[in-house]
Amino acid sequence: MYDSKVIRRRRAALAIFVVLSLGLLTVYFGESSGGALHSVQRGVQAVFSPLETGVNRALKPVRDLFGWVGDTFEAKGENERLRDEVAELRERLGESETARHDVRELRQIVGLHETEVFPQGTDPVGARVIVRSPTVWYATIGIDKGSDDGVRVDQPVIAAGGLVGKVTDVSGGSAQVTLITDASSAGAAQVMPNGATGIVHPVVGKPDDLLLDYISKGRRVTEGTTVVTSGFETEDGRRSIFPRGIPIGRVTKVDPDEAEQFQRVHITPLADIRGIDYVQVLTERGITTQAGIPAQ
Amino acid sequence: MKRTPDAYLRCALIAVAAVLLQISGLGSGRVLGAYVDLAPLIVAAVAIYAGAVPGAAMGFGTGLLLDLLVGQTLGASSLVLTAVGYGVGRYREVRDPAHGLMPIPVGAAATLAWVVAFAAVSFMLDIGATVSWLVLREMVATTLIGALLALPVFAIVRRVLRPVLLVDPVDLRRRRRAPRDAGPIGLRGLEV
Repeated sequence: MYDSKVIRRRRAALAIFVVLSLGLLTVYFGESSGGALHSVQRGVQAVFSPLETGVNRALKPVRDLFGWVGDTFEAKGENERLRDEVAELRERLGESETARHDVRELRQIVGLHETEVFPQGTDPVGARVIVRSPTVWYATIGIDKGSDDGVRVDQPVIAAGGLVGKVTDVSGGSAQVTLITDASSAGAAQVMPNGATGIVHPVVGKPDDLLLDYISKGRRVTEGTTVVTSGFETEDGRRSIFPRGIPIGRVTKVDPDEAEQFQRVHITPLADIRGIDYVQVLTERGITTQAGIPAQ
Repeated sequence: MKRTPDAYLRCALIAVAAVLLQISGLGSGRVLGAYVDLAPLIVAAVAIYAGAVPGAAMGFGTGLLLDLLVGQTLGASSLVLTAVGYGVGRYREVRDPAHGLMPIPVGAAATLAWVVAFAAVSFMLDIGATVSWLVLREMVATTLIGALLALPVFAIVRRVLRPVLLVDPVDLRRRRRAPRDAGPIGLRGLEV
């Protein structure tokens, strides 16, 4: 082991270095920037400056290597952060796209009212589709408005594009709508602009196809023409539940049956029956003021 | 360590090379979000091979050079590195560590002591900073890097100092583990 002299010498050395350090600290803090220690510091920096430059250049590859290793680790962390950000942005994008879709659909519904043929004064009640038939038949939908909002059975329901069905069941805050593609649906319709009338009914299982029957062969129906509700009224007071002038679909094919005296007209619904999110229930019958529609 | 000009020169060479590497070469390279810090490693290496007083002197000199070249408060690094060098040297003198992987814990401890004590001194000197998780994380990362670099740094320092060392701990360890030539009955000195 060490003798006391060695211990004293060791402690003395430590004390000297500590005192020197503290002295340097004290003097350095006490003097101005033009003081002796500051001058020495600047002088040493000036002397070592060329060396530092040389070492800096020589070690650039090593520094780059360290930088690469560091960047790789940081990139891993950043990758996770960016993944979270992408997920969040995707969520926002989804919300934004949904909102855009909703706005487009609602605009189309509003635009429908501004068309010349659409009946005026229908007092529409906007509703959101909350229940959708999961089958291919797309026969019914549920909406979030009911009798509390003025919705009643047999009121027509429109969506972006045109007619989608009628209200068949109502409760206080919701209602069921039977779509025009339901097997039980049928309605009087009129081909525009020639005014040929018939009965529109679904081709069950084909929601993109409706049939307009009872159009006499003498009436020329061309593809691409629009079919609207005819809104008939009889002399004894019976009338169609659909007011006149609601667009139903567009003629896609005319099928003259040789054996029959009527022609079968295929129609594609103007409303996207499978993708409805918003509808309007026409709580009032309204009147059609458009002069171009031939009278019944 | 022999007290010869050669020994002082070698120590100065190590200090200058390490500080230059530190401030010009590796200072701007970040690994794991922290800088590579060679100063505590070379001080600890000199202390472990040469003892407490050379370790303290090396710490003082290296700290002084660092403060001079970086332009920071003179004496701050010297004070901390002196303590680090003395502490590691005393550890060697008291415990005489002989394990081959000894530089790793010693390097890590020296680096940790350096970053913590320097931070404490900086706060005491009223250098405006707050203790945040970032600072703590950087301290841990610097310590880990110190532990990783300890083996090569200690090996280089030992290689440079070896001619001027009175006792090389590594040689001492090897001598302790020298193969024993035993006789047929398993006792040394009774070879047939």
